[in-house]
Amino acid sequence: MKAAAYPVPALRAPSAVSNTLTIAGRELRDAVRSRWFVLYTLAFAALGLGVSFVSAAGSGGTGLSGFGRTTAGLINLTLLFVPLMALTAGAGSIASDRERGMLAYVFAQPTSPVETLLGKYLGLGAALAACLALGLGACAGALAARGLRTDPSSILWLAGLSVLLAMGMLSVGLLISALARRTSVAVGTAIFVWLALVFVSDLALMAGAVALRLRIEDLFAIALLNPLQVFKMWSLHAADASLDVLGPAGLYASEEFGARLHPIFGASLAAWIVAPLTLAALALSRRSPL
Amino acid sequence: MNRVAIILTALGAMGMGEPGAHPAPQHEEPAAIETTAQGVALGAIGRRIAAASPGDVVEIGEGVYRERIRIDRPVTLIARGRVVIDGGGSGDIVEIAAPDVTVRGFIIRNTGADLDGENAAIRALAPRATIENNVLDDVLFGVDLRQSPDSRVAGNRIGGKRLDVARRGDGLRLWRSDRAVVEDNVIHDGRDAILWYSKDVVVRRNVGRNCRYGLHLMFSDGVAITDNEFTDNSVGVYLMYSAGVEVAGNRLIRNRGPSGYGLGLKETDRFAVRDNLIVGNRAGIYVDGSPFTPDRPGEFTGNTLAHNDVGVVFLPSARGNVFTANNFIDNVEQVSVAGRGALDANRFWDGEVGNFWSDYTGYDQNGDGVGDFVHESYTLFENLLDREPALRLFLFSPAQQAVEFVGRAIPAVRPEPKFCDEVPLMRPQPLPACAVVEGGGGGLGLTGAALLAAGAGVIACAAPRRSRPGRILKGATP
Repeated sequence: MKAAAYPVPALRAPSAVSNTLTIAGRELRDAVRSRWFVLYTLAFAALGLGVSFVSAAGSGGTGLSGFGRTTAGLINLTLLFVPLMALTAGAGSIASDRERGMLAYVFAQPTSPVETLLGKYLGLGAALAACLALGLGACAGALAARGLRTDPSSILWLAGLSVLLAMGMLSVGLLISALARRTSVAVGTAIFVWLALVFVSDLALMAGAVALRLRIEDLFAIALLNPLQVFKMWSLHAADASLDVLGPAGLYASEEFGARLHPIFGASLAAWIVAPLTLAALALSRRSPL
Repeated sequence: MNRVAIILTALGAMGMGEPGAHPAPQHEEPAAIETTAQGVALGAIGRRIAAASPGDVVEIGEGVYRERIRIDRPVTLIARGRVVIDGGGSGDIVEIAAPDVTVRGFIIRNTGADLDGENAAIRALAPRATIENNVLDDVLFGVDLRQSPDSRVAGNRIGGKRLDVARRGDGLRLWRSDRAVVEDNVIHDGRDAILWYSKDVVVRRNVGRNCRYGLHLMFSDGVAITDNEFTDNSVGVYLMYSAGVEVAGNRLIRNRGPSGYGLGLKETDRFAVRDNLIVGNRAGIYVDGSPFTPDRPGEFTGNTLAHNDVGVVFLPSARGNVFTANNFIDNVEQVSVAGRGALDANRFWDGEVGNFWSDYTGYDQNGDGVGDFVHESYTLFENLLDREPALRLFLFSPAQQAVEFVGRAIPAVRPEPKFCDEVPLMRPQPLPACAVVEGGGGGLGLTGAALLAAGAGVIACAAPRRSRPGRILKGATP
């Protein structure tokens, strides 16, 4: 082994960036080696391939392309799977470190809780991104092999946006993890939050829209609060340039905001990334790592 | 019919104008110049026409002519080279006032923009006009046939003014012009291409783009609409109050305006819709009160409806339509009934022939190409959508599946089947001949490979290194 491979002991003060990156690297290595990563990657790829094959078979190999059930199926799968993956990965992270005493050890080092949190966030985020890239890459390959002529940019958009969604959900997961005392509680809470975001909020909003005769403007505004709806609308907007496929509310959004929808959706997802992470940092700074 | 009378009166008032109602040209030429009977000064082309005898061929040489032309005798007017007739941004440009006139090969541009005056590039007021191979650009109305039966409009390129759609005129309009032939034209950026009270017209191989209605029939019977392409209009083809219409071999693609139909039928009778390719519209086919009388069922055969938001939309009033051997491929919603209502009075199979449904879940054990189970469509979510359109916002979300699961699991809330096909096809019918599939499939494979490589790269960076516990934090080393 070459001598240069060993880090030169730093006499300078540790920088926040290098601390963060070191923790991120460790987190990524741990994640990639862990069973959850392998399991999630395989499951996501398998389900994605299933969706791709079923939809491509449905179109009868006619080679016609366009926005249809294939893209819809992939969006649907991402909506179910990515939040579950990111929420549980985030929730398990800090809580299990705390349970094992690892958190106290890390905090004993000259590093701040914020650096630790950011490091974990980036490391887990990179692992999730790799998992999504593998899964969606396999889907794109399968669709191409079936002779489907979908525009590749829609798959790229889907990949990019699903990474953004994963980062938002990971942020929420880390917040849960920072607050929870035990891993089991954190993971349980994460699954509850997943259920709330994926099913309960939409079903409640549907019922509310019908019962209260919500105006479509309000319906759209409320939908913007749910990161899953934002991800879905953004994917459609990117693929099709018009949200009119989503009926009156979508038509309203397209006509009212047009190209400004990109920053609007972006702001909503960014808020879901930044806000929980900030709260998690506050919680970690205030609480004893034990 | 009351409606007819009202529309007639309205159009009369809008200026089914006498030819004399032209605005005077802006540039009066010096005195002692030849004039027409109406006392309008003649330009260079006008003088050639005035000098011609009936039946003459008048050839016009290259140049830019700024004049209004009235053709008052049966002559053939041909452009030699690049002949531009410029309207100077006001009024009409060419008026055909005699039968058997031919206008061929001109570039005619820059009409007025006065909708009340219906400023047109070429207006024919007499039978048997032939308008061929002209390029009309920046025109309010393009070709306007008024009581000009047996005319031919062929090979023209008609480009409207780039105005807000409410301020545009019709690229092509036929008014009481029976047996006209409209073929091989390209019409873009106009309002409508419209047929009023014109029987037995043939419309074939035309292209309509970025208009309001690609083609619109009003009270026009016996029209054959074949092999046209209508792309990116508000509505592709809209048939209203007409009978005996054939719509075959057309490409109706991405018509997504406020109504956004590939093909709309309103109170139309004795129609056949065959072998069309209908892709990516908001609604592939929209059926409103058609067929209007029970003479003959509405016939929809061999069409491919793919990737539309809704394949076929029925208003509850629609009855007596028969769909056979069509492909319903990957439409977000294959068939919908606007408002409440069932499709009992319409059929999706006839004898042994059904349709291909990309969402058919049955199988074909005896291998005869026909699914062994009836294709029935009843999803609770689509049922909700038909009643509450605002809920479309929740399409593609897991909540949609939750609702559909409830619909399947609990018979009490399961809606009645919307329609059924007793003999669904297992394989799609061959695509209509008009379906030329655009290329560009290779990119998807590359994208997939790139994504796989990116994922593998991240893992490769992380995984193979031996863990070195002492290196958790660089700063920790003293």
